[in-house]
Amino acid sequence: MSTIKEYLAADHGRCDELFAAMEDAVANSIESAKASFEEFAHETERHFQMEERVMFLEFEQKTGMTQGPTAMMRHEHTQMRGLISDMGKAIEAKDKDKFFGSSETLMILMQQHNMKEEQMLYTMAQQHLSAESDRIVEMMRSMIVQ
Amino acid sequence: MDFDGLSVDQAPPISAPLRFFLTAPLFAVLAGILILFSDAAALISRHSMEAIVITHAITIGFLSFVMFGALTQMLPVLAGVKIAKVDLVYKISYIFLLTGTLCMIFGLWFNMSILLLGASALLGGGFLLIIISMLAAFKNVINFTASIRAMITGLVFALFITLMGVHLLASHGIGRFSDSHLLFANIHSVWAIFGFAGVLIIGVAFHILPMFYVAPKFKRFCKQRVVWLISTGLLLWLALNIFFDSYAVAAKIWIATFFWAFATTVYMKLSARRRKVSDVTIWYWRSAAVFMTLGAFSWVINDFFNAEYIVVVSIFIGGGFIFSIMSGMLYKIVPFLVWFHLNAKGYMSIPTMNDMVNKKLATTQFVLFIVSLIGFSISFFVPYFLEISAFVFIASMLILEYNIVIAVLIYLKTIKTKPDFDMSMFTMKV
Repeated sequence: MSTIKEYLAADHGRCDELFAAMEDAVANSIESAKASFEEFAHETERHFQMEERVMFLEFEQKTGMTQGPTAMMRHEHTQMRGLISDMGKAIEAKDKDKFFGSSETLMILMQQHNMKEEQMLYTMAQQHLSAESDRIVEMMRSMIVQ
Repeated sequence: MDFDGLSVDQAPPISAPLRFFLTAPLFAVLAGILILFSDAAALISRHSMEAIVITHAITIGFLSFVMFGALTQMLPVLAGVKIAKVDLVYKISYIFLLTGTLCMIFGLWFNMSILLLGASALLGGGFLLIIISMLAAFKNVINFTASIRAMITGLVFALFITLMGVHLLASHGIGRFSDSHLLFANIHSVWAIFGFAGVLIIGVAFHILPMFYVAPKFKRFCKQRVVWLISTGLLLWLALNIFFDSYAVAAKIWIATFFWAFATTVYMKLSARRRKVSDVTIWYWRSAAVFMTLGAFSWVINDFFNAEYIVVVSIFIGGGFIFSIMSGMLYKIVPFLVWFHLNAKGYMSIPTMNDMVNKKLATTQFVLFIVSLIGFSISFFVPYFLEISAFVFIASMLILEYNIVIAVLIYLKTIKTKPDFDMSMFTMKV
């Protein structure tokens, strides 16, 4: 089974692919891009929740750090949720400029965020939680998005 | 465990990179004005005083200002570390580099010894402070990636270039030149272009292209070996240049081959990117790849013509490759920094990145820049085109400055007027 780092990093890549497909769909026709947007938004939300409801909790419990890096990553999730919501509104309003303004910002924010997680947090999580890695990955895999 | 890179509070203040970014295009404008006051015949030789001044207005004033401004932002993200006392380091080095560059430009132009000695000390101090602070920050890295290794390599080259530059400039200041002056100048320029800027760009591209454009990842060989191979080529070139000058072209072919391969790879990866949306930054990357290809071949071929065309090679590589990428980077990084810092301050209604940069103006700026590069290349053979090319270049740089100033004004206005802020005053009709 994948390690925590491998599993979540691969999921970043999957969300990037959905992001690219969504932008492509909007560029072609914003009227018919809703399905692509919803798939990206849903899968990204799923990724956030895998971290917030499973991995971050396990990490915080193990290390005792509740106000450290996980708090910052949660804050950035909130920032990204705001931008995704703006993109949804732009699609509803059929406003391409507004959509691409938010999607460009989201892309850079998301990549900075992913880089910090992959570079530091996942590496640390894997070190602290290596004994429970399989169980945590399985919990994330089987999680139902709320 | 150091979590510096994961904290917004610990992120460099926005002023640290912005003051470098805002100053850079102004030096490019100054370079354009100096071209207007230069004799076209003098610019044909890389050793003429006019050519040296204009080259450094661009390389120090524009390129290094953008590179060091960007590095302060990239270190926490790509390496998970931050520079100690970053605000102080950036304030001091900015003042040193700004005054040092101006002293160098006017000292060389008007042949004023005191300014040149001052420039040597100020530029040496400014660069050493920023380079050593960055290298020291890397000691906290826990996960050494290919990009981090490339950044460290580039900064080590920068250290040597700075020391050589201090020596070369001081020689001008005291008016005494050693027998090795031209050799030092040659090493200084080749290491600056390929060892510092080139290696840094390659290292950052490993991350930037797959990240921001969802392009295919670079192959393991590229990431693990290319920087090492280029560095070896540069050391080999140094040894050959000193001991077996007539064989130095072999090392040049070695270095040029890897840069040409890199340029081709960049072009192919951009063509295969999953994110199909195109913008001015993509065009800048593409133009950089094309100019690097031209530059790599012409740099080698130039050796068979007694280095007669080195100025054209410099336009291709310095202007077409490095300058292009730095300009493209400004269009991504400045609007994002404005958005990111406003968001971190808790403002909810923030303009998007697209609201901050006018696409038509950015396109105009790109086109003018490319036209000026082509014009400068042609004017080497047909001096008639020099003046008009300089005007086009100045116009392009003024638009670049305007484009990033608008984003910064949005930041200042938002801070001043608080969240419910009317964007209409920044809407531009083009």
